[in-house]
Amino acid sequence: MINIKDLPDEELFTAGHTACPGCGVALVVRNLMKVLGKDTVVYLPANCLLVFSATYPLDAFKVPYLHLLFENSAVAAGAIRRALKRLGKEHVNVVALAGDGGTADIGMQALSGAAERNEDIIYVMVDNEAYMNTGIQRSGSTPFGAWTTTTPVGKKIMGKTEHKKDVMKIMMAHDVPYAATASPAFPADMLKKFEKAKNKEGFRFLQIYTTCPTGWRAPSEKTITLAKMAVETGIFPLLEYENGLLTVNYRPKGKYTLEEYLKIQGRFRHFTPEMVEEVKRWIDMRWKWIRTIEEGQKVVSGGE
Amino acid sequence: MYEVRFHGRGGQGAVMAAQALASAAFKEGYYAVAFPYFGAERRGAPVLAFTRMDKQKIRRKNQVYNPSFVVILDDRLIDLVNVSEGLNPSGAAVVNTRKSPEEIDLGMEIKVGVVDATSVALEVLGVPITNSAILGAFAKTTGVVSIEAVEEGIRDIFGGRIGKEAGEKNAKAARVAYDRTVVGTSRGEKKMVSKKQWLPTVQELPLGLATRSMETDAGLVGPGSFVENKTGSWRTFKPVFNRDKCVMCLLCWFYCPEGAIKRVDGGKTLEFDFDYCKGCGICAEECPTKAIEMVRD
Ligand SMILES: Cc1ncc(C[n+]2csc(CCOP(=O)(O)OP(=O)(O)O)c2C)c(N)n1
Ligand code: SF4
Ligand code: SF4
Ligand code: SF4
Repeated sequence: MINIKDLPDEELFTAGHTACPGCGVALVVRNLMKVLGKDTVVYLPANCLLVFSATYPLDAFKVPYLHLLFENSAVAAGAIRRALKRLGKEHVNVVALAGDGGTADIGMQALSGAAERNEDIIYVMVDNEAYMNTGIQRSGSTPFGAWTTTTPVGKKIMGKTEHKKDVMKIMMAHDVPYAATASPAFPADMLKKFEKAKNKEGFRFLQIYTTCPTGWRAPSEKTITLAKMAVETGIFPLLEYENGLLTVNYRPKGKYTLEEYLKIQGRFRHFTPEMVEEVKRWIDMRWKWIRTIEEGQKVVSGGE
Repeated sequence: MYEVRFHGRGGQGAVMAAQALASAAFKEGYYAVAFPYFGAERRGAPVLAFTRMDKQKIRRKNQVYNPSFVVILDDRLIDLVNVSEGLNPSGAAVVNTRKSPEEIDLGMEIKVGVVDATSVALEVLGVPITNSAILGAFAKTTGVVSIEAVEEGIRDIFGGRIGKEAGEKNAKAARVAYDRTVVGTSRGEKKMVSKKQWLPTVQELPLGLATRSMETDAGLVGPGSFVENKTGSWRTFKPVFNRDKCVMCLLCWFYCPEGAIKRVDGGKTLEFDFDYCKGCGICAEECPTKAIEMVRD
């Protein structure tokens, strides 16, 4: 199993990119590229990552990348894979690096189609919980109550009125060969998932928690602290779905409270006790579902 | 007509400064407009904003190319960007710096007002955001608007955006900076050059824009070429590494978004690449042995 120490020194995602200081997206992509290696082709839709690392003719990727549109990442990556197969280059990894807006909302139909056809690609949902590139608009993946420019805080509403869309569950419903969520604050777990995704065949989905200090109104040095807290509070569970079975990779040990997590981020500053309760209710509901699946799996495999 | 060009960094609030100046000018009986340069710049990257002020109605809508005044929110931008491009020799420059006017080289001898706005901001606001303080220096240097009008403009724009109390604090930052501003004349020795751009001919343009990694007279282009863009000057704080405390867990190396921490000496120790470190502070925050400390750069 790959460890931090085993990562190569060479940067396939180079310095000099223009991400904000402390950007979780840059941090994750830099390490993902180290695991995937040189024989990789990247697809980038419109998002922060494209704009801070691939502004033609400057390019931070040392591997080829393609950019077409915002809404077609999974299909475009699938097409690259098919073309490479024709050229006899089966060993090349094809990875799409799409934002949460580009995944949960506008890219969803392309994603669903590609997953259903089991296109042989790695699809990464870089989840910074809003449309950041265009200046912080809410996405389906923005959490409940979060301030964004399109879910303002005022008399009528106090941030987003809906909860975060569960894209992992949607991918599980497609029965893809591999789907997982990961957080950079759990390096061994994240690297294991990168490696698994690399070595498997068929459609592989990763949802990575990527702190956005700018959009979340959080101090840049808290990027990893937040990624740790999100898992510890249960708001972002670390899960894996493989061969039709769900695994929980980490059980929150309550090292941080939800209140602590919310407090660091300006996007939650306006939270009332009722809003905190609502988030707790939602977290409990989701964990109940996760536990139900786990228990059910045990019963079924025990009965066989 | 007075035209002002602000050179700032994304996240420093150059646009708000331009707006507050326009509001101050309005209070002085001018017509005024403020607007940003439209780009995709992130926090820390060089950005532009503009203000126009005139006693008559302003019909001009284009960018400012021949400013009467330039306002430079970070003196390290002077080495990165041609800040005096098109600057009217009878105008002035306003610079956030710890240097004296005579130490500032703008490639032309011109009236320059200097203030350590970062320290003012840290003292008064507690954060290194200099967009309000620099306006105090603007008032002192140019005399086009009074410090009272600047304070009003800041209360108006900042107060409306980030709350009354914060508006008041920012007005105070401008006043403190006004009192500390030193006006003199810049040196004009340096040759200011605008960065060249890669402009291939139609014949040279690769099919589908699939650019190879190439060295051009404008620098590197293609895969890996972003290394040309030294982001080290974005920093306000910098990590100081204490080798004796380090246990080589490599967490900082793993977590640095810039890849600015290198394994050296056969993996025995680390080196920080200050050409790229943006000073985010993640490495210091996550180091389990507190071997890294952030200090003012
Ligand atoms: C069809 C289309 N609509 C809108 C846009 C403008 N646009 C570019 S990037 C972007 C936001 C991307 O958000 P997300 O996918 O969440 O990625 P992030 O920038 O947050 O990483 C938008 C709306 C576009 N390029 N194409
Ligand atoms: S806005 Fe957020 S995601 Fe985009 S570059 Fe800045 S920190 Fe990264
Ligand atoms: S301060 Fe941030 S950019 Fe600089 S070395 Fe540390 S982690 Fe890297
Ligand atoms: S995190 Fe601290 S102990 Fe670990 S390698 Fe970096 S400096 Fe050394």
